Amino acid sequence: MKHPLDRTDIDNAWCPGCGNFAILKLLKEVLTELELDPKNTVIVSGIGQAAKTPYYIGTHMFCGLHGRALPVSAALKLSNPALTVIAEGGDGDMYGEGGNHFLHTIRRNPDIVHIVHNNMVYGLTKGQASPTSQKGFKTPVQVKGVNNEPFNPVSVALALKAGFVSRVNIGNYTHAKSVLKEAFLHKGYALVDVFQPCVVFNKVNTYKWFKENTAEIEDSHDSSNLLSAMQKALENAPVPIGIFYQTMQSTFEENLRGDDTRALYSLSHDIDKLQLLFGAY
Amino acid sequence: MNETKVPFEATISDQAVSLPEKREEELPGRDSISILIGGAAGTGIMTLEKILTGAFKRSGYFVFSTKEYMSRVRGGSNTTLLRIADAPVNAPCWYTDIFIALDTDALSHAHERLTDHTIVLADENITHEEIEITKIPVSRALKELGGRHYANSYVTGVIFGIFGLDEAVLTESMEALFDEEEIHKNKAAMHQGVVYGQSLKDLPFPKLPGQLQQKTNSMHLMDGSSASGFGFLAGGCNMITAYPMSPSTGVLNFMASMSEHFTLLVEQSEDEIASLNMVLGGWFGGARAMTSTSGGGFALMSEAVSLSGMSETPAVIYLAQRPGPATGLPTRSEQGDLNLAIYSGHGYFGRIVLAPGDLQECIDFGYLAFELADRYQMPVITLSDQYLADSIGMLKRVDFSAYVQRRYILPTDALYERYKFTENGITPRGVPGLGEGLVVSTSDEHDERGQITESSHMRDKMVKKRKKKISLAILEAHSPKVMGEGSIAVIGWGSTKGVITEVLRELADPRLFQVHFVWVHPLDPRHLEMLKETKTNIVIENNVTGEFSDILKKHDIDIHHRILQADGFAFFTDLLKEKLYNLVKEQK
Ligand SMILES: Cc1ncc(C[n+]2csc(CCOP(=O)(O)OP(=O)(O)O)c2C)c(N)n1
Ligand code: SF4
Repeated sequence: MKHPLDRTDIDNAWCPGCGNFAILKLLKEVLTELELDPKNTVIVSGIGQAAKTPYYIGTHMFCGLHGRALPVSAALKLSNPALTVIAEGGDGDMYGEGGNHFLHTIRRNPDIVHIVHNNMVYGLTKGQASPTSQKGFKTPVQVKGVNNEPFNPVSVALALKAGFVSRVNIGNYTHAKSVLKEAFLHKGYALVDVFQPCVVFNKVNTYKWFKENTAEIEDSHDSSNLLSAMQKALENAPVPIGIFYQTMQSTFEENLRGDDTRALYSLSHDIDKLQLLFGAY
Repeated sequence: MNETKVPFEATISDQAVSLPEKREEELPGRDSISILIGGAAGTGIMTLEKILTGAFKRSGYFVFSTKEYMSRVRGGSNTTLLRIADAPVNAPCWYTDIFIALDTDALSHAHERLTDHTIVLADENITHEEIEITKIPVSRALKELGGRHYANSYVTGVIFGIFGLDEAVLTESMEALFDEEEIHKNKAAMHQGVVYGQSLKDLPFPKLPGQLQQKTNSMHLMDGSSASGFGFLAGGCNMITAYPMSPSTGVLNFMASMSEHFTLLVEQSEDEIASLNMVLGGWFGGARAMTSTSGGGFALMSEAVSLSGMSETPAVIYLAQRPGPATGLPTRSEQGDLNLAIYSGHGYFGRIVLAPGDLQECIDFGYLAFELADRYQMPVITLSDQYLADSIGMLKRVDFSAYVQRRYILPTDALYERYKFTENGITPRGVPGLGEGLVVSTSDEHDERGQITESSHMRDKMVKKRKKKISLAILEAHSPKVMGEGSIAVIGWGSTKGVITEVLRELADPRLFQVHFVWVHPLDPRHLEMLKETKTNIVIENNVTGEFSDILKKHDIDIHHRILQADGFAFFTDLLKEKLYNLVKEQK
């Protein structure tokens, strides 16, 4: 069925059965239900299967380079704070190639939603390990299985006191939707790490595996408590999903611009002032 | 969202911007003296430079100063060279008339720059076997005043005393730099220096040139970094995202200081990769964004330079060169990154590379960088170098209202297509939130809508669209500045402008004339025709292979001689004069 946010006549490059489809559907539904105007919404992505998401949805988009969506997003939000900005990509894109930007974007705290399709594998380049691949995972490159400790985006984000830290499983659609909505409503940087099965290259972390190995965080969890959030983030049998932590901090745009939210394209410099400042030399 | 308008809307069919008023190039000073001051880093040698340049200008002289320093925060041996003249000077000299050594190391460091006529001044405690020194009692005076850090003020006083200049002028210059607490002791030190300087008047000091109070009063004194910054502001820059790297940091600092006065967003990014991606995000959202960097940082940016080319997102990059490869000589100068600027990035796409040669050109072409990036939707790189960025000189009043600010963004309609084919290859640029259309930008090969495509026909058409933009930009290239006429062209680009001008004036050889390139890429072959008519072409470049000479050769220009230097220094007038003289004396 056609959704108002569908781009018409676009050929989708994802494999049948891929978890990306459900994430795309979820995103469209959330944008519609929150009545976010597509004309004021930009999705910024990098490179990878997940990073193709913006091509299939009727908002503005900037599809840039592998790993670089976050710096683009932060500066875009700064240039026009009235825009809703979403940064989207895969685990390789966001935590591997873009790892440094991940750390520093959290520190900046721009008011953006950061959606990471976490399938624990590189899809587009055909099945190498990603930073979140589990130990022992065998690939054509990691022939004896992955040796490295998997990257834990949630605990890393918490260590940097990110404003909103969450993880969902796309197989648990209703729960994922409620969390994504909260992420959009949060003012400041919001991480949504989404477990998403790659049905072609990851035969270990399947729909079934994610279902059996994840558990919703209980209601009693105090999401304003950083220490207990960190404790939760380190649990892995089962892996908790939900909102780990949420706190309000001033945003990147506010810190640099105060309450001036005018689009930079509408502004020009005061030439008299420039003349005066030059005159002081 | 509120209805917002774009100020100064423009389209590509509007005439290209010409720079304000044709300016007379002023000839360099007829009469000048040079003062070299040497000391360790962290002892205030830069403060001394600021006080003295300001005070000499206030006294009615044209001044120029340039520094040479080691890559360390304290210690080492650094020098500042001042030239004082009766007309503009824009180049350093190697040999100096007066040398002031603030410590013993400075003597050995500057030994080679002294001639039989150089007067060397140093503290009583400093001795040297081969150098004759005129002693000044700096440390004795400072002991009474209670602190070594007044040495600079004392020395400025000595210089003013020697030449019998007005102490009040020196005080004024000093007051602009020190706060209440410090000024008192510094003034006292300066006064003692003046008195001592006056007592030296029987020494055979070189004569100061004539004063031109009225002329210098109306002029401005600044370094190359500030001039570039004023140019970028004139171009409407309202965002700078950069990672510090000498010698580009001067621009970053300048812009940060200006953010107190303008809507100008400054972010120190985590690395250069982020810097340029942020610049692209900024432009995509409608900002006028730039980054500043040096060769090592620019190397990291090449991926995003390529993205700017493919996505047709404008970008302005200020690249202040220093010697490489790798970390090279962090605080020294070279014109060694021209090829990097022209060829960085993968795939074929257009870009413009500008290399201003003096303060006025820093302003003009800093402004033009923004105009061009917006107009052609491609990266524009402005090249500077440590020498140009750090040296201080004088320039005439600039009328900023003459720099027309234009914005090439249009409100979109519902059917807007970001990469629509047009006659000249340029699609009007929309930004998110302005108008009805969706703006779809991408790094992948795409169709007119911005959707990924692997169609060979579409690929071919898009490649041609981007190529057309280059052809169009070439037509707008600024021709090289030709100064004088003759049969032997002395060709330079960027920061060698001043030194070549002065050398040619000094040699006064009617065969020699100067050709100075600021627009260094892409070149318009029509501008090069004249170089086919000259008998001899000599290119002077501050690098080891002659990067620009090779580009001229590719355009079928015969290069007969190259004068190259890659020792970490910019060219010196006296040394270059000798080289050029020896080269042309045999020529017909
Ligand atoms: C600089 C650079 N290096 C490598 C690549 C090749 N590459 C494209 S996608 C990708 C990995 C994507 O993995 P992930 O982000 O997990 O996304 P997925 O395809 O699994 O959704 C790589 C390595 C590239 N495009 N650019
Ligand atoms: S390769 Fe994997 S992640 Fe990519 S579309 Fe196919 S199933 Fe999805």
